[in-house]
Amino acid sequence: MAKLKLALYWAGACGGCDVAVLDINEKILDVANLADIVFWPIALDFKYHHVEAMPDKSIDVCLFNGMVRSSEQEHLAKLLRAKSKVLVAFGSCACFGGIPALANLYTRAEIMERAYIEAPSNDNPNKTLPQTKTQVPEGELTLPELFETVLTLAQVVPVEYFMPGCPPTVDLILKVVNALATNSLPPAGAVIASNKTLCEECERKKEDKKITKIYRTHQIIPVPEKCLLEQGLLCMGPATRGGCGALCVKVNIPCRGCFGPPAGVPDQGAKLVSAVASIYQANTDEDIARMVNEVVDPAGTFYRFGLSNSMLKKKRLQRR
Amino acid sequence: MLKKMLAQLGIEEQRVRLDWVSASEGDRFASIVNEMTEQVRALGPMSRDNGGKNG
Repeated sequence: MAKLKLALYWAGACGGCDVAVLDINEKILDVANLADIVFWPIALDFKYHHVEAMPDKSIDVCLFNGMVRSSEQEHLAKLLRAKSKVLVAFGSCACFGGIPALANLYTRAEIMERAYIEAPSNDNPNKTLPQTKTQVPEGELTLPELFETVLTLAQVVPVEYFMPGCPPTVDLILKVVNALATNSLPPAGAVIASNKTLCEECERKKEDKKITKIYRTHQIIPVPEKCLLEQGLLCMGPATRGGCGALCVKVNIPCRGCFGPPAGVPDQGAKLVSAVASIYQANTDEDIARMVNEVVDPAGTFYRFGLSNSMLKKKRLQRR
Repeated sequence: MLKKMLAQLGIEEQRVRLDWVSASEGDRFASIVNEMTEQVRALGPMSRDNGGKNG
């Protein structure tokens, strides 16, 4: 059998997804036996024009990590879509927007202002902002255009599979590698993780889901083995897809929701607010006010990884 | 908490209301529904886009 052709790309990402691929350690040799890696900017010296020169559908599988927010990332998403038989949204950013999608709570203008003018470390008296085109004596310099919002990969091009996780776990990556090796990939559209919620897979003891105070993680040291939500920590398990192996909750850290909404849940943040509100024992207006104060940043907490993929997708602007 | 979160997301507070009406308070139910309907009608349709390159 001819070797598979594999491509990996990072768009708007931190690099953690690429590191996760390397975290499969010696199994990377199995990948090298199974596939020729034809494009992987973090590790190999292939350029964009090498990809552009490939025939359409000549890449068997492309693992695409990161969100799409610039004309360069959009170009690569479209290019790799055209060249790949199977395109995988790899990691929470490509699947749901991820942490970068929290930028959708601000406009592009606000972000530029903050990053290049307001930030205390700046020295920019002329208030210069990055331009897509700049004339210099040597000619014209260009930069990719920054879009108004953070997009998921599937909002730009059709995607076959979704591998959530910040980053996807080694077990899931190996599952995909094995599926490729045995030619047993699931039907297109599948999310490669569990179909249950994290709560269903969590081994902590769940007793009485009633809380009277919400703590932030630095405020208490939770008791091991008891449900973290019952101890007043905002654990996203009730509305987060499982399949991660419950790595965080096993080490006393509440789930942050990186695997996104479980099957059948269109909006993870809304589901989480409803889960938390239903267990908080609020009988008076004071109780309610206290609860609202205890959750300092609800949008950032409940949509930590999924704002691009939520029903609202971004902060709504008043157009009047 | 939902209201606080919706405010962060740019949704007007007047679009959400939680009230409690007994089954025997038909008039009160009708008047609350009418008030809410008028309130939302006054705000007009909720402009919403799906994000994208130019917002």
